Amino acid sequence: MIKIGIPRALLYYQYYPMWRTFFEELGMEVVVSSPTTQAMLSQGSSRVVADTCLPAKIFLGHVLSLVDECDYIFIPAIRSVKRKVYNCSKFLGLPDMTKVVIPESPPILDIDIDVNKGKRDLYQAIYRLGRHFTWSPFKVRQASIAAWQAHLDYRQLMSDQGLTPPQAIETISGRLETRSSSPASTQTTIAIIGHPYLLYDEHITHRLIYRLEQAHNKVLTPEMLTAEELQSATARLAGGAYWTYEEEVVGAGEHYLESGVDGIIGIMTFGCGPDSVMMDMVHRQAARLKSTPFMSLTLEEHTAEAGMVTRLEAFHDMIQRRKRRRAEVCA
Amino acid sequence: MRVGMPHMGNLYIPFQALFQRLDIDYVMPPVNNQRTLSLGVRHSPEGLCIPFKLTLGNLIEAAELGADTLLMPGGTGICRLGCYAQTQEQILHDLGYNVEIVKVGVSQRKLFGILDIIKRLSNNAPWAKIISAFRFGLAKLNALDRIEKVVQKVRPVERVKGTANKLFAKAVKAIDQADDHNTLKKVEKDYIDQLKQVARDPQVKPLIVGITGEFYVVLEPFSNLDVESELGKLGVEVRRMTFVSEWTKFSLFLNPLGVNEKDRIHKAAFPYLKRDIGGDGWESVGEKVLHAGEYDGLVHLAPFTCMPEIVAQNIMPKTKESIPVLTILCDEQIAKPGMLTRLEAFVDLLERKRRVPNNNR
Repeated sequence: MIKIGIPRALLYYQYYPMWRTFFEELGMEVVVSSPTTQAMLSQGSSRVVADTCLPAKIFLGHVLSLVDECDYIFIPAIRSVKRKVYNCSKFLGLPDMTKVVIPESPPILDIDIDVNKGKRDLYQAIYRLGRHFTWSPFKVRQASIAAWQAHLDYRQLMSDQGLTPPQAIETISGRLETRSSSPASTQTTIAIIGHPYLLYDEHITHRLIYRLEQAHNKVLTPEMLTAEELQSATARLAGGAYWTYEEEVVGAGEHYLESGVDGIIGIMTFGCGPDSVMMDMVHRQAARLKSTPFMSLTLEEHTAEAGMVTRLEAFHDMIQRRKRRRAEVCA
Repeated sequence: MRVGMPHMGNLYIPFQALFQRLDIDYVMPPVNNQRTLSLGVRHSPEGLCIPFKLTLGNLIEAAELGADTLLMPGGTGICRLGCYAQTQEQILHDLGYNVEIVKVGVSQRKLFGILDIIKRLSNNAPWAKIISAFRFGLAKLNALDRIEKVVQKVRPVERVKGTANKLFAKAVKAIDQADDHNTLKKVEKDYIDQLKQVARDPQVKPLIVGITGEFYVVLEPFSNLDVESELGKLGVEVRRMTFVSEWTKFSLFLNPLGVNEKDRIHKAAFPYLKRDIGGDGWESVGEKVLHAGEYDGLVHLAPFTCMPEIVAQNIMPKTKESIPVLTILCDEQIAKPGMLTRLEAFVDLLERKRRVPNNNR
């Protein structure tokens, strides 16, 4: 059976169930790279110039780990998924950049997703992708309908049950062990905002979510909000999205700032073009409202675990102190 | 209403002409200087690129001079630049300046969008007046760029280093002061003649180096530490395809008619980069491939953290068409001695390569 490799990085967290369904419907086997390791990161960064952003370096590390494991690697170039809203250049150049910096990689399956060009172009692009494996347009059509359904189910699962993407993916694959339900004594709610490829990559964040939960916090993430909530919050703060994945930063940030959580942590990586603008927008709004503590963590490959833990602890202590003082004032 | 705008190279001259002809109340912030940069850096998010920081510095300085309507390019696209106007407006408001930023759309409606904005700024001046003023602005822009092209050729071969630059500075001033088409033509002809008569060293056969990269840092000498004149002083003839007049000619007038000057560049880049990645990334890769046989070397200018140029930078060294490329990242930390050392080493390498042509690999 032909094996299709999917790197566990970048857009994996948003679209994996869709991609897997598409390829499996066409009779392929899907191989996913294992979770990020330090070795992957170093191998990935050795191929590109130093300024390349951390998620892209990690992505290349995942591709390198898949080189001998599969017959094709799937790397889409997602240009836009909404009208007049575009994606970062790195996502667009991803298939070409990978091909050039990893010449030993198996053939790359790329597909241009651009809804601004109209439906016809989109359907043709999907057909071109499917044609690698079947001549029948009918089969491709069926596979894409099933894939779209899988995507909708996946989103529904996350917003209904409050799951994070990795949890939802495991639930779908039926591999979820009983969730260690967070301790009953949680009184503090902390929202974290940022792109899923940062929040759920435990190597990048040094297990941030786990640490927060260990400290008896309830953790909220952008995926736990509905699309409407995200959209209206983005419109309030930015007057409409400029970037494809703006809602998970600006929308979630604005929503949580006004929904009365105890604290918000923004996660971004050094040198991220879109995030440098978006996180600043949330930061300014937090400073204007002066109601919710906001901390922005900028991560890169040199981020030391100890340094991050210290900042987390300080933030956590500050929130606790603030809560205590408020309780005293009320009493 | 008092209008202000950011700087990019000599672009302020055509705009000044336009404003004057339409009797628009305007202020021109001082040309980019250390204070502009410090102001911009102090109030910008750290991860943003040098074009954002410098233009923010300009806008703050314009607001200090009393401007309340600021022009800034904007629109949808893939480069961050499209959303800068909005962020900068927020920053200016947070600083307490009561200003409005007018987004000059460079991606939609092209010429008509720009004419509409001029109409609004000029308090509904008659169209005939607007079009004549716009044409005069364009004429100044074209004259400046035609003179600059001659300057690029004279710099490496002049006997007394710096003559061409001095003449160019004078020409810029004279063009700024010209107030009708005839004077403008006379000034242009006069300076081009003077440049052609500059004493040259007939022995020098200059190396040819192309300049490519991100639009703003290529065109704003303050942000790239005047890399063009420095290369000229080292005896290198600079070629670049990016000129504002070219951009206006194609983007405003010819592209809507279906002429695309960049097709050739995109075709050259195609084996390595198949799609537009925003900004000028596709063009950078294409120019390297296209000019590999023609130029001796290429200087690639990019702002630090520029997304499209990083992709281009990763792809450029791996093309089959080989030509030495020096990538210079421009940000507020860049220092002249460091850059000069790199330029000298690069030029030495190119000279050696020319002396021993069979020895390159």
